[in-house]
Amino acid sequence: MAVCAAIVGKDNSPKFFCCVNPDEELNFQYKVLSSLDIIEEKLSPGIKPNTEMYLGILYSLENWKIYGYVTNTKIKFIIVVDSSNLTLRDNEIRSMFRKIHAEYADMVSNPFYIPGEPITSKTFTCSIKNIITGTV
Amino acid sequence: MNGKLEEKEGEPNGPIIDRRPIVTCAGEFELFSHIEDNLLQALPKDVSEWKRSLGRPIRNVHIGAKFMAFSTQALPKPGQWDLIRQPLFHIYWTDCTDVDVYKNVVREDIENWIKELTSREIPDWLIVVVENYDGKRTKQLIPRTTVLDKIRVDFALKQGDRCISVINPGKAENKTADSWRGLVARIRHLLLVAYARAVTRLEDHVRQQREKRNDPNWNFMEYFVLQEELAQVLEMLGLNDEALVQYDELDALFSQFVANFTSCDNLKWLTQFQRPLERWHGLKLGPIVLPPSPSLLELRAYIFSKQAQMLLLTNKVWEMASRCLPFLHVCIRELSILEITAPSGAVWCWLFLASMEVLQICDKFNQADQVEEYSRQTASLWEYASQKLRSLGELCGLMPQGEPTSEQLHIIVNLSAGMGDNPGLPNHPSPTDKLKEALCSQDAFIKTYLELAELAMGTYKHVGRIRMARLVGQEVASFYLLLGETQKAAAFLGDALRTFENDGWQELAAQIQINLAECHKRAKDTVKYVKACAYVSAALDVDTLIRWTYFDEMNKYLSKLERPLDVPFNDIIKINTVHFTSDQTVMQGAKIEVDLVIESNFPKEVLCTFVGISLEMEEKQKHNEKYHAGKTLTKKDLKFQDPYLQRLKIKEKLEYKQDKQLATSRISSSFTLQRKDSSPPNLRANLDMCLEAENLPVSVTPGVNILKLSKRAEVIGKYYTGAAVIHVNQLHLVQLIPRLTVEVRLEQPSIRLYKRAAPLLLGIEQVMNLILTIGSYLIEPKSKIKLNASQGLKLQVNPSAPLESYVEIEVGEKPTFCSAKIPLRIFADLFSKDQQVTITVPWDHKPILVQLNFSPPVSTTWRLSTVNHRKFVQVNIVGQCERDLLMQDPLLKIKDIPVKPNIVDYDLVVCNGSGYSFLWEMVRVPEDTATAKAEFSIKYKLRLDDSFKTYHYYFDINDLKTLYILDAIVEPAKGSEFCRVGVVCHLHLSISYVGPNDNTDMDARSIMYEVLAEQSIWAVCGRTAGVVCFTGHSGAEGSLQQVVLDVMPLASGFLPLPLVRISKYIPAESVVPDKPSKGDTHPRLEPFSPGQVYNRSKSKQLHVIAGTSENQ
Repeated sequence: MAVCAAIVGKDNSPKFFCCVNPDEELNFQYKVLSSLDIIEEKLSPGIKPNTEMYLGILYSLENWKIYGYVTNTKIKFIIVVDSSNLTLRDNEIRSMFRKIHAEYADMVSNPFYIPGEPITSKTFTCSIKNIITGTV
Repeated sequence: MNGKLEEKEGEPNGPIIDRRPIVTCAGEFELFSHIEDNLLQALPKDVSEWKRSLGRPIRNVHIGAKFMAFSTQALPKPGQWDLIRQPLFHIYWTDCTDVDVYKNVVREDIENWIKELTSREIPDWLIVVVENYDGKRTKQLIPRTTVLDKIRVDFALKQGDRCISVINPGKAENKTADSWRGLVARIRHLLLVAYARAVTRLEDHVRQQREKRNDPNWNFMEYFVLQEELAQVLEMLGLNDEALVQYDELDALFSQFVANFTSCDNLKWLTQFQRPLERWHGLKLGPIVLPPSPSLLELRAYIFSKQAQMLLLTNKVWEMASRCLPFLHVCIRELSILEITAPSGAVWCWLFLASMEVLQICDKFNQADQVEEYSRQTASLWEYASQKLRSLGELCGLMPQGEPTSEQLHIIVNLSAGMGDNPGLPNHPSPTDKLKEALCSQDAFIKTYLELAELAMGTYKHVGRIRMARLVGQEVASFYLLLGETQKAAAFLGDALRTFENDGWQELAAQIQINLAECHKRAKDTVKYVKACAYVSAALDVDTLIRWTYFDEMNKYLSKLERPLDVPFNDIIKINTVHFTSDQTVMQGAKIEVDLVIESNFPKEVLCTFVGISLEMEEKQKHNEKYHAGKTLTKKDLKFQDPYLQRLKIKEKLEYKQDKQLATSRISSSFTLQRKDSSPPNLRANLDMCLEAENLPVSVTPGVNILKLSKRAEVIGKYYTGAAVIHVNQLHLVQLIPRLTVEVRLEQPSIRLYKRAAPLLLGIEQVMNLILTIGSYLIEPKSKIKLNASQGLKLQVNPSAPLESYVEIEVGEKPTFCSAKIPLRIFADLFSKDQQVTITVPWDHKPILVQLNFSPPVSTTWRLSTVNHRKFVQVNIVGQCERDLLMQDPLLKIKDIPVKPNIVDYDLVVCNGSGYSFLWEMVRVPEDTATAKAEFSIKYKLRLDDSFKTYHYYFDINDLKTLYILDAIVEPAKGSEFCRVGVVCHLHLSISYVGPNDNTDMDARSIMYEVLAEQSIWAVCGRTAGVVCFTGHSGAEGSLQQVVLDVMPLASGFLPLPLVRISKYIPAESVVPDKPSKGDTHPRLEPFSPGQVYNRSKSKQLHVIAGTSENQ
């Protein structure tokens, strides 16, 4: 399934980052950061408003494809997928995003979490990891 | 495979496979050859509608044709699928006009021709009869049967449109044009019908072939050619978009096959692509021929090139560009799936060439809107090309600070060979030329790489993808670092750092800082190196070991710094809170205290040589600075907040019409876009006045530290916190913090004069309290307070010294905020009640005025009493002093009038509030004295051992003379002996004038009397008032007036007589027109002074007995 998932706040700063392989995290951070450019393009007011939160593929690299999803409060979810994985369908990516969104909503509802702060919850990390590796 | 390629000159797209339908000509070939050229050009000139089956939309197409002679052998057999390549349409030409000739010769020929066609089930034919224009014939009245009619009858009875006559267009005349146009349209239509049928046949065939794709013997390349034919047909018809669909289908089909290669067994044909890569000729977007048995890359390149052509023909440059990168990615993936081996670098070469080719094509389309559209795509292509070139450079040892080894040189030679030759124009080198040149020398490589990277960055910036541009910049920086150009590298890294920090990607920012540190170290820029080291060592995201290393580096280089280095706090040390523990208003001399909570991110303990918060005096408030109410700054306040992410303050506005109906409602927000201050804030904090840590140096441990800062408030004023400053050796960390206000106030010393509870009295020495309060600062002990009394007032502080009108008091040693009570003796003489003391203080040049009100020790009243002509003066005194006064010798003096005292007791004690009365008779009142000046005096003292002082009281006695004597008697009515209740009695009122007989207004002595009876006792019957007039002198006739009034007692007992009051009656002025009358049109009353009237009957009583029973 996916190799990396990230949550980026409305101010474009990273709130959560999770990689299947932690050694690659820095590498993926660069990719996720640059995908923000494209999210901004897609959200720019000139373009006709898209009611769907799923943004589709943001851009693809030789080895990776990067997908985006934006909530109504401009929280961005970004998933990096290995592009050699040809069996992964668009619908699966969508459902992954929906699950992450649900997890995130639960997370924000936690009174001990201050909205806007980086997410450090272990259970959250665990459930996101499960979502991206497809074990849920 | 058709294999028939024709070079067509003049076509911009170069050689395309000719898919025009073939038309055969039979009959008079000679005749046709005259009009062939005309027909060739005329056919594709106009559009015709192409109706298709399966509900596909009708498209307008241009159809061309090519002609050949009819031959039986070339005719397609029935059921053949590739009709498209066979003669499709057949025309028989004849110019026979003679019916007999027709019957003998032509008819048979046509019969044979038709027979050939029908035997092959070919329905698409046309017979054209060419006539020469004959003006005469049209004038014939009865048209004879023509050859055309005959042919129609013979061959096309049911298909009238299959026969047409045309006037020979060879002889150009106006009238031929119509018939010519008719012919062209007819051919076009019938040809299209035939062609459409052929296309459908081809489509069916393609479909059938595709269905067989899982057969073991199925060959993709054969199928590819087939479907491409369809694409070419569509292209010929001008339907580029539909042609593209065909290529896209092929593309997708092939991708699918490759994707399934490892999992499917029956894809053996794919193995033909699995041979090692031998050529990596650059992609060419233009006329291209698929080589026999192509390699994977060649096939892919061919498909992409075709797609690109179609897209360019439909003017979709941007889509062409956007398809490039995914296409390249697909190629790489397929190479790896099919496990195609290639010499190292070969694929990179190919990728580089492909992207460069697309970029060059894009460059040709330089209209602004097109550039705008494709820039987003080309930006990433530039980046991709630069990456590939860099990889090649690394492979071939072309990177700076390197030298290609002989092995690497060998690689270069091999790569260049595999690229083939594709020479471009001299000033437009082809991508292949460029790459070869770049691989030739290091300089060329560096130049090309930097050029590409700059283009990538520029284009990214142009389309607004700053982050992507920064990432390219980071790459470029590392390249420059290799080149040794640290300045350029630092510039790119700095840009990247700013972007990352703006977005809050701390980990990436930390990585950049590490790079920057390296960069500065190599540039031997100690100052910047220390700065970068500080940041890296404080970056929490970085590995601890690395942080320690940089921390040590920082310390090492800090000591080498010559000047202190100012560095913003950023995240090196975070301020958590700033809290004023002292009040926000502080008295001068007190301490301003602040708790500063900081979080040190240094990996080890640091020794701070100075910790402080600067204070700035109040200036005009700068509107762009944040002012903060309250005494605490929390993390939230200290955090930079993006104004664009703040909640908007929105106000609702309702506007009403005149009739109070709602006219408009709107919301408004006063959000002003402000340019972000691009200049860095001034970090030079002014430390002249600052809150300082108490015991320096302070060691700050990693994590949270609470530091107490304080400052003694010396100068009054309003202060704002400016910047927080922490000095670690030569490293001066500075951060501006939001403005908190602290006010230093001064309390002025004050002096007050208080009287005691009792009122101040004249003529008696009393004690007042002078209260001196020292404020927030000390007063010079030797300085003097000066008291200056007004005239008649004397003061003294010293209990034994004599009273003075001017006193000086030394302030003396007094601590701040203390107050002292100084008793002040005070004495005011009897003459003026209102006094004032002027106090001059050393701390204020403005003197203080204290008003004092004294009252006399006794209060005095007097009254004049009259008995006929005798006059008595009564003086009453009431003690006002708290203590008893001893009094003696009351004395009354009246000017020119001797008085006779009636006083017996000479020694008096006057208590507070108690009084004494003294009475004097005026022995003789002179006739002409209207006013007498009287002076009352009495001696008094407070204590027995004091000496007596004299109290004086002056008054004037007016209207001494008795003018009227009034008498009233109540008598019972005649026949009664007593006054009884309820019985009317007579009130005899007699008023006599006894005043001086001087002649002034003798006539006008009118008096008004009023009976003011108490209503519960007396009822006045009839009139109660009247006016009497005196004419004579006193004692003379007319000086006595008598009036009888009826009164009735209402109670029994001794009743006071009804009171009668007389007043001066001034009648209304007779109206004299000339005199301005002052409202005297009504009569007036004027009261008499008490001495002017003597009422004899005053306090007389009358015994009234109870009324008779019948009266009750």
